[in-house]
Amino acid sequence: MSALPPEAYAAALAGLPAMTVHRLGALLRHHQPELAWQVALGSAAPQGLMRKVMADPATRAAIVRQANAASPEQTWRRCEALGSEVLVSGSARYPSLLAADPLPPPVLFALGSLDLLEGRRVAIVGTRNATAAGREAARSLGEGLAHAGVHVLSGLARGIDGCAHRGVLSAGGAGRPLGVVASGLDVVYPREHRDLWRSVADGGLLLSEVPPGVTPQPFRFPLRNRIVAALAEVVVVVESRERGGSLLTANEALDRNVPVMAVPGNPTNRAAAGSNALLRDGAAPVLDAGDVLVALQLDHRWANASAATERRRPPSRDERVVYDIVRHEPRTLEGVALAAGLELVDVAVRLGRLEIAGWVSQADGWFEVVGSPAP
Amino acid sequence: MLAAIRSATLFGVEGRPVTVEVHVATGLPSFQIVGLPDEACRESRDRVRAAVLSSGLVWPASRVTVNLAPSSQRKGGSGLDLAIAIGLLAASQQVHPDSVDGLGFLGEVGLDGSLRGVAGVAPMVAALGSGVRPVVPSASAREAQGVAGDAVRVAGTLRQLVDALNAEAPWPEPPDNDLVDDIVPLPDLADVSGQAAARTALEVAAAGGHHLLLVGPPGSGKTMLAQRLPGLLPPLDAAIALEATMVHSAAGVRLPPGGLVRVPPFRAPHHSSSMVSLVGGGGTTLRPGEISLAHGGVLFLDELGEFAPVVLDGMRQPLEEGVIRLARARASASMPARFLLVAATNPCPCGGGPPGNCECDEAARLRYLRRLSGPLLDRFDLRVPVHRPDVDDLLASGGGESTALVAARVAAARQRSMDRIGMLTAHIPPAQMDALAPLDPDARALLRAELEADRLTGRGYHRVRRVARTLADLRGDELVGEANVAMALQLRVRLRVTSRGFAA
Ligand SMILES: [Zn+2]
Repeated sequence: MSALPPEAYAAALAGLPAMTVHRLGALLRHHQPELAWQVALGSAAPQGLMRKVMADPATRAAIVRQANAASPEQTWRRCEALGSEVLVSGSARYPSLLAADPLPPPVLFALGSLDLLEGRRVAIVGTRNATAAGREAARSLGEGLAHAGVHVLSGLARGIDGCAHRGVLSAGGAGRPLGVVASGLDVVYPREHRDLWRSVADGGLLLSEVPPGVTPQPFRFPLRNRIVAALAEVVVVVESRERGGSLLTANEALDRNVPVMAVPGNPTNRAAAGSNALLRDGAAPVLDAGDVLVALQLDHRWANASAATERRRPPSRDERVVYDIVRHEPRTLEGVALAAGLELVDVAVRLGRLEIAGWVSQADGWFEVVGSPAP
Repeated sequence: MLAAIRSATLFGVEGRPVTVEVHVATGLPSFQIVGLPDEACRESRDRVRAAVLSSGLVWPASRVTVNLAPSSQRKGGSGLDLAIAIGLLAASQQVHPDSVDGLGFLGEVGLDGSLRGVAGVAPMVAALGSGVRPVVPSASAREAQGVAGDAVRVAGTLRQLVDALNAEAPWPEPPDNDLVDDIVPLPDLADVSGQAAARTALEVAAAGGHHLLLVGPPGSGKTMLAQRLPGLLPPLDAAIALEATMVHSAAGVRLPPGGLVRVPPFRAPHHSSSMVSLVGGGGTTLRPGEISLAHGGVLFLDELGEFAPVVLDGMRQPLEEGVIRLARARASASMPARFLLVAATNPCPCGGGPPGNCECDEAARLRYLRRLSGPLLDRFDLRVPVHRPDVDDLLASGGGESTALVAARVAAARQRSMDRIGMLTAHIPPAQMDALAPLDPDARALLRAELEADRLTGRGYHRVRRVARTLADLRGDELVGEANVAMALQLRVRLRVTSRGFAA
């Protein structure tokens, strides 16, 4: 037992459900990790704020019960097996960006390269239920920023988050993906992001403030967002609902004087209601990665036109008529036919060709454009 | 004194001849029915006794034995009441015994001596055979005449019947057959504004016999569309009409004027329907279910995902074979059940809408689609989005084509398909697809691209090809071209499961 490093106790403490960020911060400020663990077990007297916390019998009972059920040794072994680094606030390796934060994670678990936090960093966040247009915007922003050597932070959630990181990975540029997650680093959530999760850890950096084995809890997602905001130089909201979680990230960013930018969405698109409201409130608009690079003062306009866009066959003149209608706003098959004054079957043929060429996508009977061809 | 009266019972949708032998003998007054009667049948005694007495006739103070032959087969229901009553009256000399020769009696008697119709008169009349004149309650005249025409005799009460048999009064006239209030006009397609894609889907479904899934939010008019499909189908041919009539009769559903079901039926059972009410069964007589009542027409399942999975599972075999086989401990029956399946569903729990509108969380959406994708999803050749039309679209599109116009195209396409390949396109087996529905090179290229882009599964591929063939038949195209395939692809919408994946 005595062979365990202090980080093992800090890691175990970070995994106790009753241990809020404030409590854990206070505990580790006033006690060395091993002594802090004894306090949690109820076998040492608490100091500072924890004295008040532990004076409440119910809280004390919960912490003592949870600590007695946990094992620093086991937590440590899981960290080692995973290859996760454990960083305790105040230690030399602890990221300085977070050390200066108003609510720093007392303990941080990291997989990948911490040095990337020294580079330029932009967060791309947005809704899980994104439109095809939103997903494409996130992907191409991620790709563009990575080409320009900017690292992209995100929460590895479904929708916008995942698309931004896929864009970064497909760019193969100097910019790397930085992921902040709400569960233990070995608990992949959502599960279909298993490969993405792996790629981010291998080619970038994966961070969490809970130890391996902790499953995602709803209350942890907003907390995760504050870390994303704290690490970013700019936060870009691609599509957010009226009360979406990505607006919380934007608020956390504004609290920290981190500029918030947003990608404009169609006013009828409910998935973009929140991000459009940000624009109305004065957030700077983002039309492409160049706008973000300007905000970062990396104002060498980076060579445009992503590889994927160039590979596509440009729409024919006939197809263009239909494409332009769908670009205005998502349409149904008959909606396009009415707007174009064409027969259903003619529209079907053109949309079919556009979909195969990759300019249009369809789900639930609604057509949306994906990317824009040269005029 | 013994009397033997011809009658019949119902089993499934078939009538089976029964001879009711009534023996009246001296001894202690009693009444006994033998020969596998069910509960309802055993209760005949009380009804018949009350009817006889209230008709001013005499209940014999003797030992009465009723034997239902053949004794090996179970008899259900109250349809033998009349035969038992007449047998009793003949055996006790209140009705002249010779007068019942060549007649068959079907129907229930009321306590007041009235005669009441029962379910299944049409198949039971058929079971009596051509040499026998059926005598039925006035209420069942139409059903009986559908099978036996002018040979049918009717009566409103037991007294009327006895008087007619004893030649003390003429036989009552059958009620006037063609009551105007019975003729309900089918809803017309012209009432539907906009919905061009869904209209096309209805036309294709009718022309090729393709099952259809309508996907759209509440209030988008899915039910209104489904109700218009029977009007696009041709009238039932003689054989199917007879089968459908037997089913309707056996289920106790009122038959149309003329007694024959000629218009393709439309059945829309609620999603809370039990297995028995949907596929049939239950009781001694195995009643036909909704799938048999839809025989020759359309079965509409609104809110498909809300039906119990076990009930939907029970529809797989009939969908495959066009008949439902029901087996019970003592007996088994098969009933016709060849119908066009139309189902409707929301795309997701919140109803969906334009991209970005849906606010369901991923897990809820997935659960919802998983319910749908159970036993039946792969039966639908057509999977068509139905949108709530917006006002501009309604104004721009104006009124649509009428049912008569579309039905004429459907009839021509069906004829073309029958002439060329001897079946409707929905029934083309995958192995014969290339021979019976060849593609032109552009069509082939489009399908290949869809397969390569993973937007089409192997099963979906065959379904799209069949639908494309029907579209070609509707246009009179010899080969299936790119336009047919492009349209067929649009009539098979992908359901979004996650931000990246789609349900096949
Ligand atoms: Zn929804």
